[in-house]
Amino acid sequence: MISAPLLRLTKITKSFGAVRALKGVSFELNSGEVHALLGENGAGKSTLIKVITGAHKPDGGTLEIAGSQVSDLTPTRARELGIACIYQQPALFAELSVAENIGLRLECGATFGCVNWKKLHANALRLLKQIGAEIDPEALVRSLSMPQQQLVEIACALGSGAKTVIMDEPTASLTRTEQELLFGVVHTLKASGAGIVYISHRLEEIFALADRVTVLRDGESISTQAVRDPEGVVLISETELISLMVGRPVSALYPPKAKVTGEPVLELCAVGCKESGVEEVSLTVHAGEVLGLAGLVGAGRTELARIIFGITPADSGTMALNGAQVRVLSPRHAVELGIGYVPEDRRRHGLIMQMPIDQNMTMAVHPKIFPNSLLNFRAETAIGVHFIEKLGIKASGPAALGGSLSGGNQQKVSLARWLATQPSLLILDEPTQGVDVGAKSEIHRLIRELANEGMGVLLISSDLPEVLGLSDRIAVMRGGRLVDTLDSTQATATSVMAAALRSA
Amino acid sequence: MNALPAPTKRHWVRHETLLLLMLFAETTYFFYFARNFGTADNISNIVRHSAEMGLLALAMMPVILTGGIDLSVGSLMGLCAVIFGVLTHDWHWTTLQAVAATLLAGLFAGGFNAALIAFLRLPPLIVTLGTFSLYRGLAEATTQGTKIYRSFDPDFLNLGDQHFFALPIQAWIFALGALFFWVLVHRTTLGRSFRAIGFSPEGTLYAGIPVERRTAMPYVLAGLTAAIAALLFTARLHQARADAGTGYELAAITAVVLGGTSIFGGIGSVHGTLFGIAAIAVLNNGIARVPGVLKAGVGGELASMLTGALLLIALAAPILTRFITRGRATQT
Repeated sequence: MISAPLLRLTKITKSFGAVRALKGVSFELNSGEVHALLGENGAGKSTLIKVITGAHKPDGGTLEIAGSQVSDLTPTRARELGIACIYQQPALFAELSVAENIGLRLECGATFGCVNWKKLHANALRLLKQIGAEIDPEALVRSLSMPQQQLVEIACALGSGAKTVIMDEPTASLTRTEQELLFGVVHTLKASGAGIVYISHRLEEIFALADRVTVLRDGESISTQAVRDPEGVVLISETELISLMVGRPVSALYPPKAKVTGEPVLELCAVGCKESGVEEVSLTVHAGEVLGLAGLVGAGRTELARIIFGITPADSGTMALNGAQVRVLSPRHAVELGIGYVPEDRRRHGLIMQMPIDQNMTMAVHPKIFPNSLLNFRAETAIGVHFIEKLGIKASGPAALGGSLSGGNQQKVSLARWLATQPSLLILDEPTQGVDVGAKSEIHRLIRELANEGMGVLLISSDLPEVLGLSDRIAVMRGGRLVDTLDSTQATATSVMAAALRSA
Repeated sequence: MNALPAPTKRHWVRHETLLLLMLFAETTYFFYFARNFGTADNISNIVRHSAEMGLLALAMMPVILTGGIDLSVGSLMGLCAVIFGVLTHDWHWTTLQAVAATLLAGLFAGGFNAALIAFLRLPPLIVTLGTFSLYRGLAEATTQGTKIYRSFDPDFLNLGDQHFFALPIQAWIFALGALFFWVLVHRTTLGRSFRAIGFSPEGTLYAGIPVERRTAMPYVLAGLTAAIAALLFTARLHQARADAGTGYELAAITAVVLGGTSIFGGIGSVHGTLFGIAAIAVLNNGIARVPGVLKAGVGGELASMLTGALLLIALAAPILTRFITRGRATQT
């Protein structure tokens, strides 16, 4: 392409106090290109994005937008220059309608402070049509699913005439079909001449979408290369990318499976809960086994976990734990019975961000380690130190706040909390979501170790390769029901997806 | 990234140091400029007059730590005082029986707040705003707004007038209360749960902590504390009256927030609250003794203004210092 690139960053540096977040990053984005940005958590991706969107001022290096150097970029200026960013968590007003949200963002449809509703709706409808999203502009954002909200964000970006669209892990919470829809939108944007900076931890997406890929490691851009040659031949392999990211070769991706499994730990018989829309689920998890729970988002997997853990107790069916009939009525009760639950939403449920990690780790074992309800700080610190070492958690110490850790390390802290309870059944809900490749394989290894020690593991994951690679058996849910259970030796991505999608 | 300091922790430690300095400056000023401020008599006076508000503040601290608020404690003091008066005068109960019944009434009223807030999940501000009116209204209806109960058992009145080991009895009760709440908040799993709930009630539930029961507890304790404060108030004034404790809830909240507890919950300490109580108590007493203020007779008004100013300064100071230090950091 002869015209100047949409974006050119040269040797950008940025420090926060003593921490050098970016040590010299160069990056280029052309019109009509999808340029993937890869890197472990903490490699500097977020900082780089904030530099591009004007939220952070770089300490050194140059930033050119459409051929002209820009030195004082602010978020407002960046938006005027056609840079839009779609974050993992859509930042929309839940109580307003889709059209109102779009109108607010684009600051259109209003003349002298009065809203022109007709124009507002027409505009919203046009933008949504353009990206092929079937969303009612009058629907409240609260009623939309996460992917739908992301589509609204994209419509906003499109409406603002963005030439550079940054997508930060847009598929983290999307199902396969929703991903397809998103990919379609990316192609539309690309065809219209926009450039897309695409960030994802899922390598298969990089291969499906990206034209070029830049790998960041420790605040430096390690390499930029084309994903395919002009004939469409793939030029780089997944393992190559991973070793570029982690700076060392990654061996076997998944640990070997269980050889033998023991007695049933959890037996569900026709369990249901009206409130959460789960009906007649029967399944068994054995000691030493990883049972994968696959299905689309909204298929009732997290809801089932919440029933087992007593957050929304079951109102029909029976449940047995280690052979004894139980009715779990509260999370407290579940903990006492030996059930652990690492929830999907780390920031809201898995961890208390403002509390030190040792205090986070002991939360579920208060009665056990603090008899008489009196805190024992020495014992608490010891637990913190123990799990920091055992799980290889990267933190300044047991007193580091949960929020100061990277995503993968937060996940390990959340896991440590439940390991401290020595549960017989451990439910893991999307344990590697938003976790970088290095930490991901560590977590995988850990899960298998736990199973080998005799724990029953129920693994909920939307990451299909993960479910296939890690589980001994795979149960598939759809519409609140369990539709199929497959042996992992026979299951393939196709058979699992087919079960998850098949219409009743 | 992992070497980042713990910002919230540092924040409140610094706040308490700052508050202690302010308290020190305030006391020094009054010591030199206020009439008869430093006398033993006056110091015991400060304690006697602020013990009730102080106890309420101590009980308010865990409530605010969970992210809640209790506006009803002042009104409950009035209701408890009236209950005590009715039981001793109209029903002719013995003092001991009446004390026990008053404490029970406090527990029950606190439990009512707790049930609405923790189990029905109504917002604390609204619930206690309701009981703020309800409890005071009950007290005033019982006395028709005019009746004041006087003349009590002299042993009971000793509670308000006598000294024990050179200190007013209130000082000992307050010290016990302070110790109780300090241990509760800083050394027990209950206190830990209050803090966790203040940061994230949902996150706490997912850790297997019985959030409802834990949320309820501070309100029940606040009710009991209000009953104790009502008894002290009655013993000090030799009167049981429906307007006992009017406005005390706001003074208590001010002391807690001044003491560095975040009104959003999670952050705070009982020692900070103690400094906050002391700062307000000293200010109220000292300002009225400064000669110019004494002559003009505006002690109460000035004290209220300065308490407000103190609160705003204490809240703004850490944010301002952070602002200034950040400005310096970007310059270098």
